Amino acid sequence: MTGVGASVHRIGSIVWHDVLMPDTTLPIVAEGLQRHFGSGDDIVKAVDGVDLRIEQGEIFGFLGPNGAGKSTTVRMLTTLLRPTGGVGRVAGFDVVSQANEVRRNIGVALQDAAIDPLMTGAELLKLQAVLYGLPKSQHAAKAGELLERVGLTAAGDRRVGTYSGGMRRRLDLALSLIHEPSVLFLDEPTTGLDPMSRISLWEEIRRLNNDGTTVMLTTQYLEEADQLAERIAIIDGGKIVRKGRPAELKAEVGSPTLFVSVDASASEHASALLASFGDLRPSAEGTLGVGLTEGPSAVSNVVRTLDEAGITVRNLELREPSLDDVFAEATGYRLEGADA
Amino acid sequence: MTTVESPAAATRGIRLDPSSLAQTWAMSKRSTLALWRQPSLVVPSLIFPLFFAALGTSSFSRATALPGFPAVDSYLDFALAGAVVQGILFGSTVGATALATDIENGFFDRLLSSPSTRSGIIVGRMAGGMVFGGAQTLFFILVLLPFGLSVKGGIAGVVAMIIGGTVLALAVGALMSAMAIKTGSSEAVQGAFPLLFIALFFSSAFFPRETMSGVYGTLADVNPISHLVEGFRDLTIEGFSGSAVIRAILIPAGLAVLTVALALRTLNNRLGAR
Amino acid sequence: MTAIDQNTTGENRAPVRSVAVTKTWPASVGLMRRSLVNITRLPSAFIPSIMMPIFQSIAFSGTFFAITKIPGFPTDRSINWFLPLGVIMGCGFAGIGIGFATIKDLEGGFYDRLRLTPAPRWSLVSGPLLAAMFRAVLVTLIVLVVGVLFGARPEHGALGIIPLFVAGVGISAIGTGWGLGLAYRFGDMRAAAIMQLTFFLIIFLTEAQTPLFIMEGWLESVTRVNPFNDVIRLSRLGFLEQPMTWNDTWGGLAAIAGFSVLTLLFARSGLKRLSNN
Repeated sequence: MTGVGASVHRIGSIVWHDVLMPDTTLPIVAEGLQRHFGSGDDIVKAVDGVDLRIEQGEIFGFLGPNGAGKSTTVRMLTTLLRPTGGVGRVAGFDVVSQANEVRRNIGVALQDAAIDPLMTGAELLKLQAVLYGLPKSQHAAKAGELLERVGLTAAGDRRVGTYSGGMRRRLDLALSLIHEPSVLFLDEPTTGLDPMSRISLWEEIRRLNNDGTTVMLTTQYLEEADQLAERIAIIDGGKIVRKGRPAELKAEVGSPTLFVSVDASASEHASALLASFGDLRPSAEGTLGVGLTEGPSAVSNVVRTLDEAGITVRNLELREPSLDDVFAEATGYRLEGADA
Repeated sequence: MTTVESPAAATRGIRLDPSSLAQTWAMSKRSTLALWRQPSLVVPSLIFPLFFAALGTSSFSRATALPGFPAVDSYLDFALAGAVVQGILFGSTVGATALATDIENGFFDRLLSSPSTRSGIIVGRMAGGMVFGGAQTLFFILVLLPFGLSVKGGIAGVVAMIIGGTVLALAVGALMSAMAIKTGSSEAVQGAFPLLFIALFFSSAFFPRETMSGVYGTLADVNPISHLVEGFRDLTIEGFSGSAVIRAILIPAGLAVLTVALALRTLNNRLGAR
Repeated sequence: MTAIDQNTTGENRAPVRSVAVTKTWPASVGLMRRSLVNITRLPSAFIPSIMMPIFQSIAFSGTFFAITKIPGFPTDRSINWFLPLGVIMGCGFAGIGIGFATIKDLEGGFYDRLRLTPAPRWSLVSGPLLAAMFRAVLVTLIVLVVGVLFGARPEHGALGIIPLFVAGVGISAIGTGWGLGLAYRFGDMRAAAIMQLTFFLIIFLTEAQTPLFIMEGWLESVTRVNPFNDVIRLSRLGFLEQPMTWNDTWGGLAAIAGFSVLTLLFARSGLKRLSNN
């Protein structure tokens, strides 16, 4: 039991631990966190030395493509998976040696809604209440409250197997909140949701955050990270490649990107010409991208240069640095599923 | 929905033109290969019956002296027939489950739109199970020979049993296929399997009818499986005889006629309903 | 339920979250109820699990009716001989059924939910165990009643029925431990096949079908050393003409106690291994 000012007292047959988290305790800390699978030549380094220090009350975005190690990192921090190296501390407790203390303080909604199709929404919430040690008198009330919060009151007595995908996600979120955790892990919470549901979920996340909940959010969607996260980290190949506030990271990239579409035959020549205006950047099929060192004013020069070389410009697009660019610069490719 | 040529006409008999034969052959190969690729389903139909035959031989050897028991050198000779029939029942669900899966994933509809005859489709499906049924029969006999099995009916008896086993596999396979076509669900087919098992137990597959009593004995008397098994059994413990051959082959044949007709009817109903 | 605590200097501190410690017993009961609810909500699995042991008792006693005529057979009612076997099979499968359900939970992701809770790890095993044992009592009762309707007569009255229930509940505990241990280690339906096959084998390599003195050959040797034979004997104590003696009882009790502990430890260590994947 760590934490300054921790006190223990009894109410009836239930032992309550009041854990006051001093400001100096970070809700999520990872130091050299590592997860290797297999050994020798077949070794897979899913997570290869991740350092994170997430602040009290922030929304932290964890970005990366599929297979980068996002989910593996989350599974380690939420006690589902044992790290093969490094240290993880959540709510001040070590994820390996103090796993149950960690579990008491976190809520988790994983990528696939973890539900039992044969039970009703209300029953699952009550089971959660039991397993989190809530006093029996509160079970029904809490279940009702959470159902209302996620808009599932009407469906509460139906078997979860009859729920749509969106409803299951919402129930999953409700299940993770039964004990009012101070730290919330959301693994790709809006993947596969329609735009309305996505926005609705973003609002709920902001609301939870306003109440004081620290949120660690993994996502493939740059827009989501941009909208919600105060700070982000980009993970690729098991390692963190960028960390910081979105605005700062974008500023680091600096120059805006000009996307030019030319005929395939002219592509090589155009590339060489564009290179004189700044660094070439990854772009979609059939287009070339260049970071304009001189800024937007260089656009007319680019067009003139290409024109004088006899290259027809089919399309032209100028974009201020976005997280997409941050990502592309950090990893060398564009994130799939990014909003263009 | 009916075409100019009614579905019934198309399924009357099996057309023997080259293309439909080729189709049937192709489908037969496919279903046979599919069986070989599912060892986990095939093993229970081989291992379990042999295990119970072995168990029985060690358990019931003294029971062979009981009144009502036919004269045998060992329970093993008695048990072969039941083991073969049991194995074929276990194995036949495999083909039908595969058929139900085909229906579930739409492959079956594609088959139907090909120029094969309906009965050709069914026979092609069944072919794998039939080959397996015959092979099972031979396999059991060969495996048990070193353990003291003696087949009084000789080579002729063995051949008769292999034929009987093949035809029985067709009969049971067609029944389960009818079920598969009707429900389109492999789970339903699996669920029907216990019924076969029950039918097997209320028969003389494991013990002589003469030793049973009361209602149980009566049920065993009227169960066609009893007579079928006894046909196989007489070929093993008594010798090659017309009566044994008739029971071993004609009973399954009669059942096959009924169940194949049922399967075709179910198929037509399914198509007619579309 | 949450309060922003302001200390004397007026700074805002982190919200106070009071989180109770989950005790093993309430967690086990909660998980037991969940298991029981799940079983009954799948009639396609639940009903066969009751019908199978009934069918087995009746079918075996009808088919092998004649063995009671062998001189020295310990009872003259074949249903007396085969009813306990039906109970043992039914109760064993009640335990293994927990393994099946757990595979479904693992494959569907719900097991992550359970592991994320602060419920003590043992309760994840003991909860379903309680459900299996409860189900075993139910199965034993039903098969007993049906058996009596079909002519079974407990030779030693009510006292003779106790060993039947003890054996049934014991076997369900062993089945649960074995089923869970395999489910955790394999995580898919391969475990289901192994569970069923091994259980079948271990139960039938005993006096399941005939008493020892009738057996010959390899089966006799195996039966003499198979501890599960003592469990089968225990279940039959009340149904045979010979008097119930402690000699015939202690072996079965020891086997049940020993194997329950072993298989439940097997399950618990399998649960630990889940965090390695």
